[in-house]
Amino acid sequence: MEVKLDKRYELGVSAQNAWAILSDLEAVASCMPGASLGEKTGDNAYKGSVKIKVGPATAQFGGEVEILSIDVANKSLVLKGKGADKGGSSASMELEATIEETEGQSILVGAATVIVNGKFAQFGGRMMVQVSDVILKQFVDNFIIKAQALGSATGDTAGSTPSETQTAANESPNELNGLSIFWALLKSWIGSLFGKKSAS
Amino acid sequence: MAKQIVKMNLNGQEIEQLVDSRMLLVHFLREQMSLTGAHIGCETSHCGACTVDIDGESVKACTHLAVQCDGCDVKTVEGLAEGGALHAVQEAFYEEHGLQCGFCTPGMLMRSYRFLQENPNPTEDEIRAGLSGNLCRCTGYQNIVKAVKSAAVKLQQKESATA
Amino acid sequence: MNAPVKTPEERKAELQGMGESRLRKEDARFIQGKGQYCDDIKLPGMLHMDIVRSPIAHGRIKKINKDPAMAIPGVHAVLTADDLKPLNLHWMPTLAGDVAAVLADEKVHFQMQEVAIVIADDRYIAADAVEAVEVEYEELPVVIDPYKALEPDAPVLREDLAGKTEGAHGPRDHHNHIFTWEAGDKTAADDAFANAPITVSQHMYYPRVHPCPLETCGCVASFDPIKGELTTWMTSQAPHVVRTVVSMLSGVPESKVRIISPDIGGGFGNKVGIYPGYVCAIVSSIVLGRPVKWSEDRVENISTTAFARDYHMDGHLAATEDGKILGLKVDVVADHGAFDACADPTKFPAGLFHICSGSYDIPAAHCSVKGVYTNKAPGGVAYRCSFRVTEAVYLIERMVDVLAQKLNMDKAEIRKKNFIRKEQFPYTSAFGFEYDSGDYHTALEKVLDAVDYKALRAEQEQKRNDPNCPTLMGIGLVTFTEIVGAGPSKICDILGVGMFDSCEIRIHPTGSAIARMGTITQGQGHQTTYAQIIASELGIPSEVIQVEEGDTSTAPYGLGTYGSRSTPVAGAAIAMAARKIHAKAKKIAAHLLEVAEGDSDWEIDRFKVRGNDEQFKTMSDIAWAAYNQPPEGLEPGLEAVHYYDPPNFTYPFGIYLCVVDIDKGTGESSIRRFYALDDCGTRINPMIIDGQIHGGLTEGFAVAMGQQMPFDEQGNLLGNTLMDYFLPTAVETPTWETDFTVTPSPHHPIGAKGVAESPHVGSIPTFTSAVVDAFSHLGVTHIDMPHTSYRIWKKLKEEGVQL
Repeated sequence: MEVKLDKRYELGVSAQNAWAILSDLEAVASCMPGASLGEKTGDNAYKGSVKIKVGPATAQFGGEVEILSIDVANKSLVLKGKGADKGGSSASMELEATIEETEGQSILVGAATVIVNGKFAQFGGRMMVQVSDVILKQFVDNFIIKAQALGSATGDTAGSTPSETQTAANESPNELNGLSIFWALLKSWIGSLFGKKSAS
Repeated sequence: MAKQIVKMNLNGQEIEQLVDSRMLLVHFLREQMSLTGAHIGCETSHCGACTVDIDGESVKACTHLAVQCDGCDVKTVEGLAEGGALHAVQEAFYEEHGLQCGFCTPGMLMRSYRFLQENPNPTEDEIRAGLSGNLCRCTGYQNIVKAVKSAAVKLQQKESATA
Repeated sequence: MNAPVKTPEERKAELQGMGESRLRKEDARFIQGKGQYCDDIKLPGMLHMDIVRSPIAHGRIKKINKDPAMAIPGVHAVLTADDLKPLNLHWMPTLAGDVAAVLADEKVHFQMQEVAIVIADDRYIAADAVEAVEVEYEELPVVIDPYKALEPDAPVLREDLAGKTEGAHGPRDHHNHIFTWEAGDKTAADDAFANAPITVSQHMYYPRVHPCPLETCGCVASFDPIKGELTTWMTSQAPHVVRTVVSMLSGVPESKVRIISPDIGGGFGNKVGIYPGYVCAIVSSIVLGRPVKWSEDRVENISTTAFARDYHMDGHLAATEDGKILGLKVDVVADHGAFDACADPTKFPAGLFHICSGSYDIPAAHCSVKGVYTNKAPGGVAYRCSFRVTEAVYLIERMVDVLAQKLNMDKAEIRKKNFIRKEQFPYTSAFGFEYDSGDYHTALEKVLDAVDYKALRAEQEQKRNDPNCPTLMGIGLVTFTEIVGAGPSKICDILGVGMFDSCEIRIHPTGSAIARMGTITQGQGHQTTYAQIIASELGIPSEVIQVEEGDTSTAPYGLGTYGSRSTPVAGAAIAMAARKIHAKAKKIAAHLLEVAEGDSDWEIDRFKVRGNDEQFKTMSDIAWAAYNQPPEGLEPGLEAVHYYDPPNFTYPFGIYLCVVDIDKGTGESSIRRFYALDDCGTRINPMIIDGQIHGGLTEGFAVAMGQQMPFDEQGNLLGNTLMDYFLPTAVETPTWETDFTVTPSPHHPIGAKGVAESPHVGSIPTFTSAVVDAFSHLGVTHIDMPHTSYRIWKKLKEEGVQL
């Protein structure tokens, strides 16, 4: 089951800082809720895993992530990730991410093709877009915190105090909590019924 | 596997059983109590073949844990007939040819039994809506609806006879 | 002898025999929850089996790690293909001359295919163990479109068939090609088309659907290591065939194999084939020496057991300008899934599809069917289809409508013009079938009168001219001929066993009887209808005739119940066995009445001395005598067995009319009226026939209006639970009107033809005909199923229909 995602997120940090995080695979991986990077398998390739919890049940996707190309001048990279969980679901994604510079701040532009297979496609297929939205929003929030933290460390700030950003960085969730995703989904769906547009 | 004692009134008898916390009521009835009337037709609680009656309500036993029945009154199709006499819904299903393979029948009977207490004098549309949680592949529902209508009449006649 | 004398009518009524709408004998246990279905069976020491299944549609198995599953307390075994190899059971033969994997051997070919089995103390532990087995796959490119599967560079699905250019049904010209089967006369058909003033063509897809009986498949296999005997309770519509196959596969002599089909919660063709689950349960039981139960869940049932249809059809009709059909050509691409496990008689890989000339006198016809492998579950023949007759009837009825629209002819008129006439029966079609009897014109007139067809067309015209009318009204008409009762053994066999059927009847000394047949009811009411046949033949009340089926150790060999064959074949065997008893009874009666055989007459329930009503012997008297004082030269007892090899199929027919109102805004269809006239020849129990019709029409409604099994590009089956797969409830299901005519089959001992699949075969094109008819004034000639509100809404937008 294939889903195409086209997203733009305003980051509120400088393009320089944003690119510093984006081009650092370990930093990016740590923004992905529930993700952890394992051994390096190549120059730009790592083994990784994503753990998701739904109530008492946990699923662990193990897989690989690889940066296919980096264009430093244009602050853009192409990344490929794929993973499977032992319970019978698998997913692969090709993502092109770019940091666009605008006056004073930057925008993270992402275009992704996601293919989901197995149980998740059979049962979760219809929710893919919404679930992806929520996960990406979490990712971007973490990304912004990391980029802001970079900024305060180098004295370049986008308006938050050092202690706040440091605490926020430490609190970034290290697990992908299915129930909270469901709750976020429900809230955004109810909101859309009342005409509120979702954030992305 | 954590085990618990569960006490309930099952078809008029007080029972006490040791069950796994995660055991579904439908498996408890079928395997532990050997009451195989309630059937399993799906795992998404759509088909209603597992319908039983708990504390005066139709309940799908496939999405109910045995431990949730602690202290409850549970009735299954095996408890419908009383004193050797078939219940009006059972008679009516037989007389109106409201069954073919019989697999949906216990669930249909238990639902009809409760439905007619909720709505003793239903229209055809009300019957169809009342049974919408019970699927049948053989009968096309037409004779089932006739059976429920007939059972409604029988029950009302009984009512006025004993009144 | 002071009892009041009963009239013949009273005596007949007491028999509750043929023609009576007597209540069913099997109901007592079902209404009290005392049916015995496979999953109800509990044996001492019984273990539970569950199946590890592939999440992907096509791939290589790199590694299977059983250890985490084996570590769970209560798990007894985890088996994979490697464990079945020494027994040569990792692959098994199919009914279609192919092989199918029992457990995936190095490769998986469809999503949810069986990869490993676990055996555990209870079903909960078994389910835990299934989650714990670790399987690593290497994904391979997936093919789900049969046309793409035939492209030269399409992925190779069946590596096990590499190099095999000769399949079970002829040459294979591509690695994903299974067979190409043809019937009719291509030259004659081509000629007809070359010279015809009018030709029409239509492509149509009959979607893949699933019979989805309420009870899923399952079995309890119990091998007794001390006696060396295997007993298996199984949800099987053909227990004797299963016994023969199990014996051949397992090496256990057939005399030591017992298959028991207990009560079955609906079959509909889903329970004909042998599934890996059965084989694995049997193997496990033999290996472990304990009973093993396997009960599949609904997702497994929909995803992996015999699907139905998936025919991509191109139909062509040639005709004169005034609508007389001159020729028919049909080409089909048949998507069989990953293994050809289609349950057809051996010589017919496309079943009885060549009944597609329908109820019409078509002089020249040709059809070809090309079977193709794809990454989907195996199957194809199921769901009340009478061996592809659903597809055939759909094709011809749609084509006749298309032709009618081209010529601006009324859909009833064009049918009348082309019907085989009553005088033409027995009629041999251009495909070689000899239709036994029929009277289509009378039946059609009866339906058109009953619904006031003229008024309906007038109403439709008026509504079309009214821009404020909120609905599109459509009238669907289908005039189908079915072909059932497979079949004459010289052309019909299952794995080499001719498709006869059987009955044995034994009358007891005190006049009641027991009878056993080779068929197996799954709700059709055999315990009642079969007793009714015997009651009328032998004058014994049906109430005291016990009917048993399904236990291969006691029932005579039969080919089972599917394809509406029970009444045509077993019903005939019953009548013939009864007549053998009748002949012996006549001799005994003559002896008891002290007259010559020729001087007694049979009347309802007794032999009477001719001209003397007071002197008679009932079957009870005769039964007692048979055991106590059989006449000289006759052996004691009163029983007979008959194996009936039918001389021909039977051809029930029907006329169905449907009125639909489609909401212009939402696309929702409301079935205003559905009138179903069926002719199944002699009617054994009208109440049971009506029940069967209601059920078949409802399943047809489901197929036409909502069922589908969509696959995405990766071969994921989307929507394989009842959340998505449309099973109508009492709310959506229309109210059905039934009617009948009686045109007995001349070659059948009681003139009966069989009926249970007719409503399904006939109703599906009727719904489509009605929906298309609602749009026909806009030039629409065909709309593929299912006719969900969403799909119709899209069509409304496409055609620019405004509210």
